[in-house]
Amino acid sequence: MTDLKQRPLPVVAVAGPPVRRSGVGRPLRGAVKHVGLILLALVMLYPVLWMVVSSLRPNDEIFRSPGLVLDGLHTRNYGEGWDALASPFGHYLLNSAIVVLGCIIGNLVSCSMAAYAFARLEFTGKRLWFAVMLGTIMLPIHVIIVPQYIMFSQLGWINTFLPLIVPKLLATDAFFVFLMVQFIRGLPRELDEAARIDGCGHGRIFWQIILPLMKPALATTVIFTFIWTWNDFFSQLIYLTDPQMYTVPVALRSFVDATVNTSWGSMFAMSVVSLVPVFLAFLLGQRYLVKGIATTGGK
Amino acid sequence: MRKLGAIFLATALTLGLAACGGDSGGGQELSDGPVTLRFTWWGSDARHQRTQQVIDLFQKEHPNITVKGEFKDWNGYWESLATTVAANDAPDVIQVDELYLASYAERGALLDLGTATKHLKTADFDAEALATGQVDGKQYALPVGLAAYSMVVNTDLLARYKVTPPDDGSWTWDDLKRIGEQISTASGGKVTGVQAFGFDAGSLNVWARQNGTSLYDDKGNVAIPPAVLAGFWSYLLDLTKSGAAPEASVTIERASASLDQSGTATNASAFGTWWNTQLTSLSAASGAKLRLLKMPGEAGARSPGAYYKPSMFWSVSSRSKHQAEAALFVDFLANDEAAANVLLTDRGVPANTKIRAAITPRLADTDKAAVAYLDTLEVGQAPRVTPNGASGIEAILKRHTEEVLFGRATPDQAAAAFIKELQAEIDGA
Amino acid sequence: MSALGELRSIRGSTRGSPRKRDNRAALVFLLPWFGGLFLITLGPVAASLVLGFTDYNLIQPPEFNGVDNFTRMLSDERLHNALRVTFVYVVVSVPVQLACALGLAMLLDRGLRGMAFYRSAFYLPSLLGSSVAIAVLWRQVFGADGLVNQLLDLVGVQGRGWISDPSTALSTLIVLNVWTFGAPMIIFLAGLRQIPVMYYEAAAIDGAGRWKQFWRVTLPLLSPIIFFNLVLQIIHAFQSFTQAFVVSGGSGGPSDSTLFYTLYLYQRGFNNFDMGYASALAWLLLVIIAAFTAVNFWAAKYWVFYDD
Repeated sequence: MTDLKQRPLPVVAVAGPPVRRSGVGRPLRGAVKHVGLILLALVMLYPVLWMVVSSLRPNDEIFRSPGLVLDGLHTRNYGEGWDALASPFGHYLLNSAIVVLGCIIGNLVSCSMAAYAFARLEFTGKRLWFAVMLGTIMLPIHVIIVPQYIMFSQLGWINTFLPLIVPKLLATDAFFVFLMVQFIRGLPRELDEAARIDGCGHGRIFWQIILPLMKPALATTVIFTFIWTWNDFFSQLIYLTDPQMYTVPVALRSFVDATVNTSWGSMFAMSVVSLVPVFLAFLLGQRYLVKGIATTGGK
Repeated sequence: MRKLGAIFLATALTLGLAACGGDSGGGQELSDGPVTLRFTWWGSDARHQRTQQVIDLFQKEHPNITVKGEFKDWNGYWESLATTVAANDAPDVIQVDELYLASYAERGALLDLGTATKHLKTADFDAEALATGQVDGKQYALPVGLAAYSMVVNTDLLARYKVTPPDDGSWTWDDLKRIGEQISTASGGKVTGVQAFGFDAGSLNVWARQNGTSLYDDKGNVAIPPAVLAGFWSYLLDLTKSGAAPEASVTIERASASLDQSGTATNASAFGTWWNTQLTSLSAASGAKLRLLKMPGEAGARSPGAYYKPSMFWSVSSRSKHQAEAALFVDFLANDEAAANVLLTDRGVPANTKIRAAITPRLADTDKAAVAYLDTLEVGQAPRVTPNGASGIEAILKRHTEEVLFGRATPDQAAAAFIKELQAEIDGA
Repeated sequence: MSALGELRSIRGSTRGSPRKRDNRAALVFLLPWFGGLFLITLGPVAASLVLGFTDYNLIQPPEFNGVDNFTRMLSDERLHNALRVTFVYVVVSVPVQLACALGLAMLLDRGLRGMAFYRSAFYLPSLLGSSVAIAVLWRQVFGADGLVNQLLDLVGVQGRGWISDPSTALSTLIVLNVWTFGAPMIIFLAGLRQIPVMYYEAAAIDGAGRWKQFWRVTLPLLSPIIFFNLVLQIIHAFQSFTQAFVVSGGSGGPSDSTLFYTLYLYQRGFNNFDMGYASALAWLLLVIIAAFTAVNFWAAKYWVFYDD
């Protein structure tokens, strides 16, 4: 992780709101805080570091040599892991990317619309519908999946990305609807009431006032949708049975068989590879989170 | 809304339809036109590669048949298979494990291969081997490989701690415990003598059979007497308490991990119970010299504990629309020498005796040892296939072993609870 | 500041007047959601409810068996154990995780040097999600030869296989959950970002110190987000599945000590071909979660501050 430390950080660091900085600056307290944070970061990162180290070890040494000390760089795992399954691993990365992109667009559009209605509009049965929305995330997926699979197979959607993406286009991810509702409700109502007095309709209020103000929530939605879709195993396993359509988590699991030798090195190597896109998404997303404040602060 | 209604209806109908099974599969005539078969298995990346090569060989011989391989990990495999079967969308050719065979077969999900003999030949299989794939007298599955339970010993560790290897023609369970204690003591606890068992059906079957009984009776009810079961757990408890086996939490950690993380693979235990076919994997992981020994207690047993266990089976979905082609493909997997030369012992030592003889010269030393072990073993009649409803036997066994090792239940209590629970699962199915 | 005053006066003027209903606009905004609800969500949900009153083994057609599944729950000891395990998990892990997340979010929200590095470092574990690797990695920390035992060894304490000991296994999963507190932390950060600076300016002008600013500005304005995290983390914790599944290899072991409710439900449904009972279990869980959520919403009236 040393390369991380050398990353140019100021882009993010400078963007904080100036008012809340007044207390920092006493050097000793700052140093103590840093030591504490670095120790905490090390503890938290240990398993991740172990995974990176193991991806650089020959397969038979992974469980026989403990600790983080490497004898040499066994980079072959990366090449072997890349080509270990039916298609090059890049194929699975691409499949995952398509699903992730579809889900992000779906969640951004449909959830923000639904959230605006729940947060700002008065309509018949609002409380009931809101309860229904929350209710939809209270049933475990394991009992839904069989009827849902039957439904999608009737539609001929098995082995396409549609069962994974279309529900997101239709705001079925209540988590994000609720998240955005909370953010919108946290926005000063004066802003849109003022716009309404100026004659704006709901479409314009939503588009020109609410959306720009909830950029942090939208960025959060993007980050989470990315990460969760990228890691989601169960539904992708069930709906994608053709290896051509496999996504990263499904592909990663098919390295492992507990009853024989498993190519752990390859599996860890590809786990590391598949961490890269999410990590990049997170880095980009968090910058955006911070830009969000600049906008809010400027208002 | 009408469309919605149609989908609901279709969904409701499918829930009911999946079971009908039977002969909707277009008989045993091969089609001239293009046919696509779906073939599913579980395994690791090495198996996926070999299997794909075999698929390619088959497609070369039968250009009008396309075989789509669907590979999964073990857990994902069963989730996916159950869901596709429920939705009447099961793959045509299915790799089945002994634990789940009856659960799928008795409910009508699998084709009786006896109806497919036109394309599927079984002449090179022993009758006993074929019997392992029969449920209610029908051949629902064809055994792929055979395995036998064995004690794997790390002779390097024995040499390091100057312990004489036991004579597996005569050794007893007490010998195992005694030698295990010696090693634990000699190594100062760094290495334990025995990696405790009691987490898979194999160890329990062997124990029951040596005691002249069996886990299930012919009708598929639990038959093992509580006293025999309690004896099994008392022995494990002794191993742990005497230091021959590691302390309970370590035992359980290794037992629930993958093969590569086991005590045998990491050279942390000198003895461990395994299926003989796992010798190659274990040797590769440990890097030490490993040997297969017969299970202790066989010499003085009331009946032989050893038996052939099918490593896995080939089955065809009863709802397959291409049963003839599916049978043809299974025939290729089971009888074709070119296919066998690719698969070797990846799915166990081949149950097909002709194929076994043909590939043996090509095997690695450890695989040759596994074949030799199988060939020289004196086995009794194979135990009854795991009954419908008992597919969770290993999970139940593991849980009760944990209860005993952690002192949360006495062996007697665990025995009573285990029998009650397993029987309830069978009755409920 | 004059702008703020102006805005306040507008709000004052609208508060009293009855709001008109926007049914048509609402329908437009909710169209995708209604579509998803009626076309995708409701059918399978209804099917699972119906299956809850059947004996359904996934392969043969379901057979109605009345309320058998529900009466069976009364004497199902593994279910009772699963409920106990799940309640302990919810009650312990949710507050601890949220407190850690909020604390770090507050810390990282300050203009500390290297903030982006820390934020990434703390978030990285959450990126692993439910990866297969988690099972192996967690063993490297809490296994018999893991990091914790190596550290204990330094001070001469004899360790054990923490994950595989029934008395500590659940705790290691709680730690695992806390370890992945990145999601609520990011939501807190986003929430903190959204608090308009003008409120802090106003508070500063009123002479409020940092501590007072936290209580008077941050906490009330962040309360909708805290509430959101609380509600969702509780729902999430009740349904907690993947981590226990991956770490225990699907067994909920050792000795059922990590048998979460959904893990048990999954075992019944997929390992034991008992989907009728699993569906009934799912609906019991829904009732439990709904009750907790309702209490949460009721209590929210007393501490969550909305600007509307």
